[in-house]
Amino acid sequence: MSADTLAAVYVSVISMSIIFLVLSILIVTIKVLDKFIPYKAPPPPPAKKTRPAAAPAQDHETEEHVAAIATALTTALGRSPAEINIVRIDRI
Amino acid sequence: MDLNLISIISHVLATTAFSQLTLGHVVMILVAFVLIYLAIWKKFEPLLLLPIGFGCLLANIPMSLMTSTDEGGLLAFFYQGVKHEVLPPIIFLGVGALTDFGPLLANPMTLLLGAAAQIGVYTTLIGAVMIGFNMQEASAIGIIGGADGPTSIFIATKLAPHLLAPIAVAAYSYMSLVPLIQPPIMRFLTTEEERKIKMAQLKPISQTVKIVFPVIVTVVCCLMLPGVTPLLGMLMLGNLFRESGVTARLHETAETHLINIVTILLALAVGSSMTAESFLRLETIKIIVLGLLAFTFATAGGVLFGRLMCKLSGGKVNPLIGSAGVSAVPMAARVSQKVGAEEEPSNFLLMHAMGPNVAGVIGSAVAAGVFISLFGSPGPETHAAIEPIVQAISQP
Repeated sequence: MSADTLAAVYVSVISMSIIFLVLSILIVTIKVLDKFIPYKAPPPPPAKKTRPAAAPAQDHETEEHVAAIATALTTALGRSPAEINIVRIDRI
Repeated sequence: MDLNLISIISHVLATTAFSQLTLGHVVMILVAFVLIYLAIWKKFEPLLLLPIGFGCLLANIPMSLMTSTDEGGLLAFFYQGVKHEVLPPIIFLGVGALTDFGPLLANPMTLLLGAAAQIGVYTTLIGAVMIGFNMQEASAIGIIGGADGPTSIFIATKLAPHLLAPIAVAAYSYMSLVPLIQPPIMRFLTTEEERKIKMAQLKPISQTVKIVFPVIVTVVCCLMLPGVTPLLGMLMLGNLFRESGVTARLHETAETHLINIVTILLALAVGSSMTAESFLRLETIKIIVLGLLAFTFATAGGVLFGRLMCKLSGGKVNPLIGSAGVSAVPMAARVSQKVGAEEEPSNFLLMHAMGPNVAGVIGSAVAAGVFISLFGSPGPETHAAIEPIVQAISQP
């Protein structure tokens, strides 16, 4: 084995050792972090109140909703507003 | 000036690039066509191979001033970002913003798989030295086994800039071929029973741990291997943007527009370095062969270490996730999932494989840091970007 090859083998052994050392330090660090900062499940979200379905567009607020939804639909679908007729909005 | 018809025609012809076209240019233009074909029709790393191929095409049009060495040329300007080691770290910023370290933090032992897969780097280093490359060149070639494009470019620029083009092309080509290279090796080195092992669901990780982790990696790794700070520091900053939850705009920019823009600049710059003089050499063929060797040994190293972990854990680790330690995020993890699902369709290894996959990114960056420590310029050096200024100031 030539001197250069031998040097390459030494470099490889030392480098692999350093990589395992550095990553082992990270493993220990993660385990310590996980021990001292355990995961806490977030509190469950408050129960949603079920709302009745909205009546056909009557009041001013609902008209604004219809306009906004129609604009979004026409933009997304690339159609003319005349082609879209919203007859009912169901609240989910 | 005598402006007769013949002289005008001959003058016009002399000013076309055809007059300077050599066989080398023609061959490199064909190479560019192959890269563009692979990117568009074969979908091989198209985001990179397409601009690299087109950069190569532009660079090999004579008189276009589009090579990386044409002073004042457009691509030579882009190449400054490679030469001064600016673009690869910015790519890493975006990669960090895109990467979820959650699977790694949930199963930190998978970091060892990312370390084991680096064996490909070192077997290639030894092989490269044996066939006549010096240690710096061999290191730059070996890092192809890290399956990490920006790291390969970073190290090649630092240690063997004359080999940048073939190293970058080999690295990205083999990364795109991961779904073809890895499965036969994975099947050969594992038994059917091992491939069917189902791993336990990963536990959830505290958001605080996810925030602290990139800071700790930066401190630990960069203090040990300061040469890799530009890469690893940017990777971890990008991840901190993601996890901190207070920099949504920076996170979004880093993971989308910034990484896309810099990818264009980096890939074009690499393509512009693919001239006939730098690419049509015997070394290029050697690098292509060594690159394949690097990927093969890296995959084998990860899978074999996965088998060892499988034995030591009493069969709780599926060794197929070891192959993902080569980085090539997320393709290598997808390959683990695919090979596992072929054996047992209800087996979902993807999230388990993401742990060693991102560990491979850290592992290859650490391997790069070791090379820089060993073969980079000793001591604090003047950054290439400000070297001319320092020289001008120091002149009497």
